[in-house]
Amino acid sequence: MGIFTRISAGLRALTNRGRVEREMDEELRGFIDASIEQKRRAGLTPDEAARVARIEMGSPNAVKHHIRSAGWETAIENLWQDTRFSLRGLAKSPGFTVIALLSLALGIGGNTAIFTLINQVLLRNLPVRNPEQLVTFGRNNGSGIAGGIDLGSYGLFPWYFTRHLQQDPGPFQGIASYCSFSDKVSIRPPSANGVSDMSSPAILGPASLVSGNYFTIIGAQPFMGRALNLTDDATPGTGAVVVLSHHFWQHSLSSDPAILGKTISINGTPFAVIGVMPEAFHGLKQELEPPDLWAPISMQTVVLKQPTLLTANDGAYFLHVFGRLSKEATANQGALAQSQNWLDQQIRADIRSHEGAKLTPERQQEISRITVPLISATRGVSTLRNRYGGTLTILMCVVGLVLLIACANLANFLLARAATRRREIATRLALGSSRGRIVRQSLIETFLLSLFGGLLGLGLAFAATRALITFVSHGSAYIAMDPAPDAVVLAFTLGVSLLTGLLFGLAPAIIAARTGAAANLSAGSRTAQSSGGKQARFWPKALVTAQVMLSLLLLVGAGLFLRTLRNLENQDYGFERTHLLIANFNAKLAGYKPSQTPALHQQLLERLSALPGVQSVALALTPPISAGNWSSNIDVPGYTPAPKENTNTNLNRVSGTYFQTAGISIVAGRAINDADTLNRQKVAVINQTVAKHFFPKGDAVGRTLLIGIGDVKGPWQIVGIARDTKSSDPRETETQRMLYLPLAQIEPLSAVDPTAPTGTVPEENQDRFAGLIVLRTTGDPAHSIIDFRAAVASVDPNLPLTKIATIREEVEDFMSHDQLISTLTGFFALLALLLAAIGLYGVMSYNVVRRTSEIGIRIALGAQKSVVQWMVLGESLLLLAIGVGVGLPLTYAATHYIESQLFGLRAFDPLTFSIALIVVSSMTLLAAWLPARRASRVDPMVALRCD
Amino acid sequence: MGSNPGDVVQGTLEMLILKTLALEPMHGYGVALRIEQVSEGVFRVNPGSLLPALLRMERAGSVKSEWRSTENNRRAKYYMLTARGRKALKDETSAWGRQTAAIARILEA
Repeated sequence: MGIFTRISAGLRALTNRGRVEREMDEELRGFIDASIEQKRRAGLTPDEAARVARIEMGSPNAVKHHIRSAGWETAIENLWQDTRFSLRGLAKSPGFTVIALLSLALGIGGNTAIFTLINQVLLRNLPVRNPEQLVTFGRNNGSGIAGGIDLGSYGLFPWYFTRHLQQDPGPFQGIASYCSFSDKVSIRPPSANGVSDMSSPAILGPASLVSGNYFTIIGAQPFMGRALNLTDDATPGTGAVVVLSHHFWQHSLSSDPAILGKTISINGTPFAVIGVMPEAFHGLKQELEPPDLWAPISMQTVVLKQPTLLTANDGAYFLHVFGRLSKEATANQGALAQSQNWLDQQIRADIRSHEGAKLTPERQQEISRITVPLISATRGVSTLRNRYGGTLTILMCVVGLVLLIACANLANFLLARAATRRREIATRLALGSSRGRIVRQSLIETFLLSLFGGLLGLGLAFAATRALITFVSHGSAYIAMDPAPDAVVLAFTLGVSLLTGLLFGLAPAIIAARTGAAANLSAGSRTAQSSGGKQARFWPKALVTAQVMLSLLLLVGAGLFLRTLRNLENQDYGFERTHLLIANFNAKLAGYKPSQTPALHQQLLERLSALPGVQSVALALTPPISAGNWSSNIDVPGYTPAPKENTNTNLNRVSGTYFQTAGISIVAGRAINDADTLNRQKVAVINQTVAKHFFPKGDAVGRTLLIGIGDVKGPWQIVGIARDTKSSDPRETETQRMLYLPLAQIEPLSAVDPTAPTGTVPEENQDRFAGLIVLRTTGDPAHSIIDFRAAVASVDPNLPLTKIATIREEVEDFMSHDQLISTLTGFFALLALLLAAIGLYGVMSYNVVRRTSEIGIRIALGAQKSVVQWMVLGESLLLLAIGVGVGLPLTYAATHYIESQLFGLRAFDPLTFSIALIVVSSMTLLAAWLPARRASRVDPMVALRCD
Repeated sequence: MGSNPGDVVQGTLEMLILKTLALEPMHGYGVALRIEQVSEGVFRVNPGSLLPALLRMERAGSVKSEWRSTENNRRAKYYMLTARGRKALKDETSAWGRQTAAIARILEA
């Protein structure tokens, strides 16, 4: 209760200032009257009584001041007074205020922008119940359909095994699985009557296949309706139900509140909508383009448009698995090790039972060492995190350094101002102000600056983050990132602003408070300013030296990243990189059967090669450089692989004109050509790496090889060797093995499983589909896009072109983080350099102003202009020398941390270091030269007359 | 602000005010006068410390105030003890008794 009366009384005093003041006056008057009365009664004359009473009381104003300070509201009033005083002070020096706010806004804005991304990409937990209990089985980064690997390699598992784990999760609370990739499907929203409408236009959107217990195990509640359950996923081929993402529901279905129970069509099959997930939920795997919908794995054939992968005892590896640990295993290492051990036992037992009798002792040994690590999935699995995590961490350090440089600048400005304000402060002290109040006023000024700077920075960060997200998303229509700051980001910005204010405001405030009253009032203003002593001159110089040091560090960093990007761009890729247009198309989604592909392919090739400006056209499965690949182990008669040797080779199926179109030269034998048709000898082209590895004697052409994937087993006769290309990553140092097959020679029917009952009809071979059109143009390939679209539409208007890009854009996709980091570090390094130049210029000019009378005396006594210039310049050069002397080893040490991000150069790159040194030195000289020139022009008469 | 024979022992002013007000409600000067008289002129309380102390005590809830007219028909702010103030006086008096007894013992030892 006491606290409430205190607060309410204080508030009353604040709001009714007039009345409180009047009452105080009245009480004092009453007091003094009573006192006079008493003294008169004691026998004094009225005049004397009044005089004595007044002496006893002292100054009524002082009494009132004492009374006011007894309430807390006075502290607030003082604060308000100081704030107004500071605001007036800032408004009176607009130049300083603008520069200070601008550098703070850039510094804090940069930090906030990068932190917003870090928060979303690296820090945020999955929006599910107890996310710390979730673990993935092996790394869930890879994706695709694989065969012939061990359980859990690349984090991939076959369906039968995940079913087995799901039914018996051992020490886990539960185990669930999901398809390792989210292919785009063709979706038709429901019409007004709630039935999917085949005439409405299809939307392409990524769909994720998940096990029936996926949502239960991950711990996510639907926003409305229900999530999938075990019944939905019970039997392959049934369970045509779907859960929508909030984004899809909102944007493609206009947030239809009655969507539950309606049907949407996926790849032509109707699915009942049973639920909508909350906005923040994007699944365990945080993909750049998050899934629009989740369907049970049982509907795999429809969603993936592939023959069934759900086979009882064997099958393709295409699922990722994750589990929810028991509470004990989350809390203690021993229980976690038991869970790990249990999983490894399950995997080893399954491998043994599948390899059966043919197990050699070596293989036994190998199996007993197989382990699939449990990896924490508290923050989900994120492709963005893998791709940009390192980049963002480096950028965070960079913007942190820039902010430090900005802080150093402001500290210097304030130190200089504190020196010029000595007389004012001395006067205030002499008039009875407390040192505490002076420090407080000084700190209020810096906090005002840093908070306003932070506010501006927040706005700047919002714009910058938007731009960054657009860059990161590569033009995807929707990605699960948001530039709007959340509570964490706001708290971060506030914290950084306050810390910044403290960093640049504390030293000037303390120096201001140390000012002695008497000494400064008596001396002339100039002498007062130059009498600061060694310490007062030490700090500005130390700060400038630090700025030089940090600028050097940032410049070297920027230079290294810029050179890395240049190296990546200018290396030899082994294929044409200027005149290619590549387009992904998906004939499966348009309803084509494998048997219809030869006619479609023929038509596309004919129609496109007739386009003006087109040199040649080819079809392939994947572009010359691609992150995902079709690959398989291969078997070369006559070559005995070493034990455990990995014979995995990337495959591509291409039309007859591929090599000339993509510009990949043939070094021996011949290329695949149009004469390699279905009924002719099956031929293949290998790259140099395959030739070197499997045919060290150089006799590859004419030999045969077999492929592990049953549908394209072969035998294939090698007819040529193609040049090595950078086929998976511009940074790859070890060339990938490549094997090219003629698209026209892929068998029409799939190989029949030898264990299948006799009389099983073979299915059509899905490997007959091409996925890519490669167009070689005479001019800029981007100019052919319109003609290209029209030509494809004239063959079949329903054929979806999922992506069209020039080869340049395609290659740049792989270097996006290199571009991001080199552009941003370059920008921030220049900003840092500019700030440091402003700082150096400010300190040096201030020194010259401070020493005007000294310089005047020197010149009057006959000092040469060059000597005066050199005096100022020499001081700056000393600072530069110290900055570089300390900065070089520091930079050298720091660059070692980023060596892994570089390409084609070492961390100690002499060229980069020299250029950075030259730039920093020229900046220092330029910033020091202007004040030096001004010093040499000091007119001794004017200078000496001043004091 | 050194110690002056007229100053009240530090920390005891509020106790003295409470004790004074325990007899009857009084205005500010009345309190000052009463303390001076009862202490036979040893303690002199000036308004610069008396009035802030009264404000603090009012905020703390141990006294309350009210404008009344004085014997010679002028308006004055009268202060009076609350229940909380009475309890505070009792506590402070007994604490003070203990302290002075202890100090006396130390000084005599």
